[in-house]
Amino acid sequence: MVMENLGSSLRDTLKKIARANRIDEKTLNEVVKDIQRALLSADVNVALVQQLSKRIKDRALKEELSGKLNPRQHVINIVYQELVALLGEPISVPLTRHTVIMVGLQGSGKTTTTAKLARFFQKKGLKAAVICADTYRPGAYDQLKQLCERIGVAFYGEPDHSNAVEITTRGLIELKRYDVILVDTAGRHALETDLVLEMKAINETSKADQRFLVLDSGIGQQASEQAKAFNEAIGLTGVVVTKLDGTAKGGGALSAVAEVGTGIAFIGTGETIDDLEKFEPDRFISRLLGMGDIKTLVEMIEEEPPIEMEEAEAMLKGEFTLKDMYKQMDAIRKMGPLTKIVQMLPLGSLGVDIPDGALQSTKETLERFKVVMDSMTDEELEHPRVIRSSRIKRIARGSGVTADYVRELLKYHKTMQRAMKGVRSQKEMQKFLRKQGLK
Amino acid sequence: MFESLRQKLNQFKQTVNNKERALDDAEVGTAANDATPLAEGLEEATSEAYTPPAVHVDEAVEAPPSAEAPTQGVMQGETVRPTRGKSLFEREIKEKDLEEPLWDLEIALLESDVAMSVSEEIVDTVKRELIGTKRKWRQDVGALVERALRDGILKVLDVNGLDFDELIKQAPKPVTIVFTGINGTGKTTTIAKVAYRLKNQGYAVVLAAGDTFRAGALEQIERHADNLGVKLIKHQQGADPAAVIYDAVQYARAKHKDVVLADTAGRIHTNVNLMNQLKKIERVIDADLVVFVDEALAGNDAVERALQFNTAMAIDGSILTKVDADSRGGTAISIAHATNKPILFLGLGQKYDDIVKFNPQWLVNRLFGEAET
Repeated sequence: MVMENLGSSLRDTLKKIARANRIDEKTLNEVVKDIQRALLSADVNVALVQQLSKRIKDRALKEELSGKLNPRQHVINIVYQELVALLGEPISVPLTRHTVIMVGLQGSGKTTTTAKLARFFQKKGLKAAVICADTYRPGAYDQLKQLCERIGVAFYGEPDHSNAVEITTRGLIELKRYDVILVDTAGRHALETDLVLEMKAINETSKADQRFLVLDSGIGQQASEQAKAFNEAIGLTGVVVTKLDGTAKGGGALSAVAEVGTGIAFIGTGETIDDLEKFEPDRFISRLLGMGDIKTLVEMIEEEPPIEMEEAEAMLKGEFTLKDMYKQMDAIRKMGPLTKIVQMLPLGSLGVDIPDGALQSTKETLERFKVVMDSMTDEELEHPRVIRSSRIKRIARGSGVTADYVRELLKYHKTMQRAMKGVRSQKEMQKFLRKQGLK
Repeated sequence: MFESLRQKLNQFKQTVNNKERALDDAEVGTAANDATPLAEGLEEATSEAYTPPAVHVDEAVEAPPSAEAPTQGVMQGETVRPTRGKSLFEREIKEKDLEEPLWDLEIALLESDVAMSVSEEIVDTVKRELIGTKRKWRQDVGALVERALRDGILKVLDVNGLDFDELIKQAPKPVTIVFTGINGTGKTTTIAKVAYRLKNQGYAVVLAAGDTFRAGALEQIERHADNLGVKLIKHQQGADPAAVIYDAVQYARAKHKDVVLADTAGRIHTNVNLMNQLKKIERVIDADLVVFVDEALAGNDAVERALQFNTAMAIDGSILTKVDADSRGGTAISIAHATNKPILFLGLGQKYDDIVKFNPQWLVNRLFGEAET
């Protein structure tokens, strides 16, 4: 895929600077162009990308290389800082009595997110309630009602009534003994004047403390303009980015928060009610740039945090057990559905290049490996050597795979173990472990 | 839609034209006299909007350039010889002259939500087409540029022509159409619009409530079916969508209905199990038409999604929704390119008749400012 090529071209250029001991303008221009491409194909607003690349260029040339950093890290660090600045602080929601209004374009996931948020507050021990103020889309009432019933959250709506403002007024009275009230509104876009007016009225009626824009992670260049319009109408206090379980990079969301000057509160990562996560800028930026290790890199630049020596030593001695592998896979899986996971696998970080696309089904494989490992006993996980044919048969049956598949997993583990032994120096080890997400 | 892209494309045409003209002028400038205002013009020419000094434009218009140019030098008392041993009257368009305008073109396409990979391909086509083209001295290259752009875009959009109306008319009944796409792109609304359109054309339509997953999905399509007065086949929530659609097809056969429009649940293309479910639907149903629905607001990810859906269940055509949200329209180009299948319709609003047939030729004409057809 093209996107992967893009990621690897960025990597190639960065490798190039890593070799140079100082940055000349020509190389820098090349890098900046690659970063531009990465950002543009992640749907970051074109004008914003242009501003950003100018700042990156200026800073990279002006600021002195600090002793610790090589030029590559220097540039990435600047890119990272600039992106963090654009993203603003993650918005944290108060766990007190308040009202939230959810707005957004059609199909961005407002209703699903409303239910997820209600669940979030409920889990925090607050009494949450939901008002359905979407009187346009057929089925919107039923959808929200069913979702609320599933999680046992109070719901107010009037299916036969078409005035969303009046429904909201009555809903607020009805639900006044609840701690957190969420108002779900109909999808609308900036050009639908009537609907924008209606949204303003609902907002005034509800006196909402939080005004969240729900934004599809796949949105393109329209993101900043739409966000701006919503902001002008009701004054947004935060953004929720949805559908991040797909392949969209979310550059539209970045552009939106940069435009509005607010931050991201939550991200939606799936269809079930608990698939709502708090926003982590580092992970988001890694995804945006298609580079798995940005956080590690930045941490390395800042300070070398101590790692758990016991674990490290165990691994250094080559006692890399299946349990360690399991942890590692879990860490990788959490990085998001990246086909670029490749870069983060040990082979990649040991300087062995794996061609893009060779491990396309990585995520799937990791998940299946985990299932297989779930069918193993503690003893087997700690001492894989005890696994012989009869155990293999049992594990295969337990996890619903073929015996060959279990053998494949064991072979993979052996390869990893060998790779671990290959890592010699302590310093290298530390870097490596952090890359693997083992702290 | 497409208004800003249209402006940008025209700007590109203009820039290349001016640039080439400036090169002509520059050549005369060096040959004749460095002190002529032409030399100043050359410097400006590297910036985007160079307008040749009025005098020279007039000259070019009034007299045949081939005769005028050398005499200009002669009049100033010098003999002009073609420099660097090549003809002054014919010039090749060079890569380095196009570099900057082509980058601007790429940015313009990206701004219009054409995905990166597709923008690059269009720019490459235009580049291949233009570089090395011989042109006459002072010839207006605008037309050349326009043709190259037109070809580049049409090549992407005008693929495997499929006329929806023709297909419905000619295919053996019932015609089964399955709609796929990620969550929230407007599949159900689009089905209602297509049903409305087909009904008005005199076909008997059956809807299949294939979204058995999302809360409220059944009620949503039920309400549309009621509003439109068409038959809906549904099971309860959580049922196998393939079974629902199969039943709808059986029903249509038995009752001699013409078209089955099958909804499916929105799914994110990275969810392996849900993508396998689509494969199952394809196996069980053998649909006449698989329509991929995506929104015009989508950016680069449109390509990836379209590819993934195409792998699970080969797409025959796409419908682009939410075009009314001031979208730039580039998504149409991205999706057509990724699926190599035509865009069938555009969704333009919330009402049942907010749907128009898409015609690539119409789009290209619109982009290049000709009368709408």
